Amino acid sequence: MTIGAHILIVEDSALVVSALRILLEDAGHRVSDAGSVRDALETARRDRPDIMLLDLSLADGDGLSILESLSADGMAPRVTVAVTGRDEPHVIARCKRLGCREILIKPMNAMALPGQIAEWLAND
Amino acid sequence: MTPIRAGYLSVEERLAALEERVNEQTRTVDELRNRDALKTQFLSNVSHDLRTPLTAIVTHAEILRDGILGELTRKQLESICGIISGGRQLIGMVGEILMYARGAAGQLSLAPTEFAIGSVIEQVANQVEPLAVKKGLEISVDVENGLSPLLADREKITHVLSNLLGNAIDFTEPGGRVWVNASHATAIELGAAVLIEVGDSGIGIAPEHHELVFREFAQVDASASRHHHGTGLGLAIARKFVELHDGRIWVESTPGVGSRFYFTVPVRTAR
Repeated sequence: MTIGAHILIVEDSALVVSALRILLEDAGHRVSDAGSVRDALETARRDRPDIMLLDLSLADGDGLSILESLSADGMAPRVTVAVTGRDEPHVIARCKRLGCREILIKPMNAMALPGQIAEWLAND
Repeated sequence: MTPIRAGYLSVEERLAALEERVNEQTRTVDELRNRDALKTQFLSNVSHDLRTPLTAIVTHAEILRDGILGELTRKQLESICGIISGGRQLIGMVGEILMYARGAAGQLSLAPTEFAIGSVIEQVANQVEPLAVKKGLEISVDVENGLSPLLADREKITHVLSNLLGNAIDFTEPGGRVWVNASHATAIELGAAVLIEVGDSGIGIAPEHHELVFREFAQVDASASRHHHGTGLGLAIARKFVELHDGRIWVESTPGVGSRFYFTVPVRTAR
């Protein structure tokens, strides 16, 4: 499946969410969003996403804790991609250890996302 | 209590007074260090936080530019491209501040891989060539045959080269020349190293400023800095990156004739 995936954007900046939503919906995907750890867990458990774009710093906690909880429940998305402004080696190592497919460092090239998503899903 | 005149202080009393002064100065140094660390942390936090809204600005503008929300007129497109360029310039500056903050906090480390310096020079020259051509500059590259491969942090060496070449283009008037040469260092004091030269026929730098340009927040000429907006951190970061590799960086320049920036990267082999 390369188009029509369900993508969950976990991001507390409404400005970033709205830009990514336009891009990904234009590419034919179904988009949900969550701005907190609690909302993300609730949304992902209710409607399991194919791809989760995961901001690491959220107002109510650590973004990676979402992936940890979902993995523990056997509810992890097919692909999780960390999106973060922090590119310190220990942050990147933790993302990889917890199973993130990619780590996108803000400001990432968002226009390349539709192509990358097709690739991640094709190689899953 | 009757004040005791300094001349009548006993040795013990003088030692005690001296010790108190040393303690006081130690406290001042500690406090300054703490404040400096706080400032560095603040720079780091602000830089990280700026990345999110910058991502939003540039992405929204790119969506408009690419016609995802409908076709734009030529003038609208020009305006949007202006927003994107400004946004990217800001992103670059935020990146530099973050890099500086990391360097100041001693958090920079190397991720060495083996690569040919020629490939990095070619990559950076290709990136800046459109800018040079647009400005009417001639750009040339000369890499000595048989140069040893480097075991170095490719990303950081690329950053140094991009910075030097970007400056060369910025500070050279239309019709001028910029060049990059790479060769084995021949001077004994440089040891076994690859020597990279980035030269230009630009405005040049006065001799008294040759050291100053590598300091943080330095732009030696106020009128030049008005034309070349930046954080003033580029060369300070370049020096930090070169020194992390145990290399050297320096400039030879004559005002009105041009500048030649040199840096070395010691040749090491992977075990």
